[in-house]
Amino acid sequence: MTETQDTGMQAEEIAAPPDEGQPVPINAMFEDDFVTQLVLVLDTDTIDEAARKVAAQVVGRRVPPRDAGLVVRFDGKVIPGDTTVARSGISPLDIVNVGWAQRTPRPQRTRVPDNRGGRR
Amino acid sequence: MARMAREQWYDIARDLDWELSYVDYDAVFPEWMSGRGKIPREAWAKWDEPYKVTYPDYVATQREKETGAYSVKSVLKKSRVFEQLDEGWKSVAKQHFGAVALIEDLAVYAELRMARFGLSPAWRNMAIYGALDETRHTQISLAFPHELVGKDPQYDWAHKAYQTNEWGIIAARATFDGMMMNPNVVDVAIQLPFTFETGFTNVQFVALAADALESGDINFANMISSIQTDEARHSQQGGPTLEILVEHDPRRAQWIIDKTFWISARLFAILTGPAMDYYTPLAMRKQSYKEFMQEWIAEQFINQIRDYGLKKPWYWDEFMAGLDTWHHSLHLGVWYWRPTVWWKPQGGVSPEEREWLREKYPRWEEQFGRIWDVIIDNINHNRMELTLPETLPWLCNLCNLPIGTAGSPHNEKYPVRSYPLKHNGYTYHFCSRPCRQIWWEDRDTLHNPTVIERLLRGSIQPPTVEGILTWMGLTPDVMGDDAYGYRWAKPYAPEPAA
Repeated sequence: MTETQDTGMQAEEIAAPPDEGQPVPINAMFEDDFVTQLVLVLDTDTIDEAARKVAAQVVGRRVPPRDAGLVVRFDGKVIPGDTTVARSGISPLDIVNVGWAQRTPRPQRTRVPDNRGGRR
Repeated sequence: MARMAREQWYDIARDLDWELSYVDYDAVFPEWMSGRGKIPREAWAKWDEPYKVTYPDYVATQREKETGAYSVKSVLKKSRVFEQLDEGWKSVAKQHFGAVALIEDLAVYAELRMARFGLSPAWRNMAIYGALDETRHTQISLAFPHELVGKDPQYDWAHKAYQTNEWGIIAARATFDGMMMNPNVVDVAIQLPFTFETGFTNVQFVALAADALESGDINFANMISSIQTDEARHSQQGGPTLEILVEHDPRRAQWIIDKTFWISARLFAILTGPAMDYYTPLAMRKQSYKEFMQEWIAEQFINQIRDYGLKKPWYWDEFMAGLDTWHHSLHLGVWYWRPTVWWKPQGGVSPEEREWLREKYPRWEEQFGRIWDVIIDNINHNRMELTLPETLPWLCNLCNLPIGTAGSPHNEKYPVRSYPLKHNGYTYHFCSRPCRQIWWEDRDTLHNPTVIERLLRGSIQPPTVEGILTWMGLTPDVMGDDAYGYRWAKPYAPEPAA
């Protein structure tokens, strides 16, 4: 039998657990990320919960964490955090934008260590 | 017996045609295969290839090429050249073999379709040589990696890749099916020999040959240079076909070129861009991907289509702007989703490499640097789980590449966003306006669901990251990981407290 290795990836179920609302696959964009991603939210999720599910795939992975709340925009409008996905009108395959409640500052010049030496 | 001089028989042999009397012309050359469109039948008599060759000459030349390529391979087999190759560079070769070897085989069929349904005997004659060329390319592209399979199973993907549902392969398969197998042969000639082989194979075969030599991979350089000499010849089937098409239907000619150039550019941004600007060791890089594309593709291509009386594609400014961003986004994506590829992507953002990237791409730091900083910080604090994906990027319904990668963060003109289209009650997503436009025009011939769509339709079971990798055919011994074991990130690590 072939020995398998740990891929280092978490085998999270993408399908929703039963009896907890219907899954709604969205095309989610998080502010300052470089791709949009598939994120499964539930129609019973509040918008705040849905925003956290999107952020979990980006913040701390490719976008630095910030001490700020999240804002969800759908169809050009900010959606209140306490409404549900179902009531917001978000449907499967829709584009949902998630960003910080405060505007992102422009990127600073990135630190480069002093010991980098010259070009080879 | 005295042999007839070549000039006395060549034109008759290469351009021999006759009136059909036992069958209908339309039955032999049906429109859906031959693609006459608005071109009158007599117009094809003007088809004239610029490079002429006889079969004995062809065989003699090809034999020499084969002897040369395999002799070098044989000599190097006894050396330790392979063991000394840089791991990042090896990934260039692995990526090339997997993505290209069996596409050469597909090209055999494209050439054979032109050899059968082309409307000029001279063209059909030329396409026979093209089919023989592509057969040789398939064989050589499989033979060279084959002897490395025992040293590294990732080389096995030279043959295996197109038998799988790996996401990059789905993108390539969709593109090349659209270029070689779906269209009629007039469209094939404009798409494959003219737009793709005249332009884009230069990027892969000329640029990479130079980088391969610098990197010490003499075998690979030797192999792709040998292939390129054939490409340069049989790509000339495109010009005479285009000349006739432009005369009778310039709008069709412009559209075929425009769409093929765009989709090829998207594909090469993932195939060649990361190879040139990230995987090739810094000291060995001859030119940046952008510099090479500007010189070999943009300038030459525009001059060429102007010579035929055609215009710049409508999206030209967007394509040129993309030379600053597309391949950086795609590299970042390949690296982050590295278990989903069959090679080991080199991060390529050590401090020295980063300095080179900033010099070549002044906005690289602002657009991509901060994302790499988060990744580097996670590597240096051993939070490796955060450097690996738990979901998939949304994929474009035309090019099958991640949405966002036809733009970049902090890009006012081409931001990270989807360009959706609702059609028959279903929402399609595209990485760019040109992809959306091409899909709309060609939608009746495009049937490849993206990996995202297959996942949502339940075709991938179980619908987990592990399930997706298994569905893609990526076993643990083959799936990608960082080429250098993340050592490029170490110089960024904070100094330990004294």
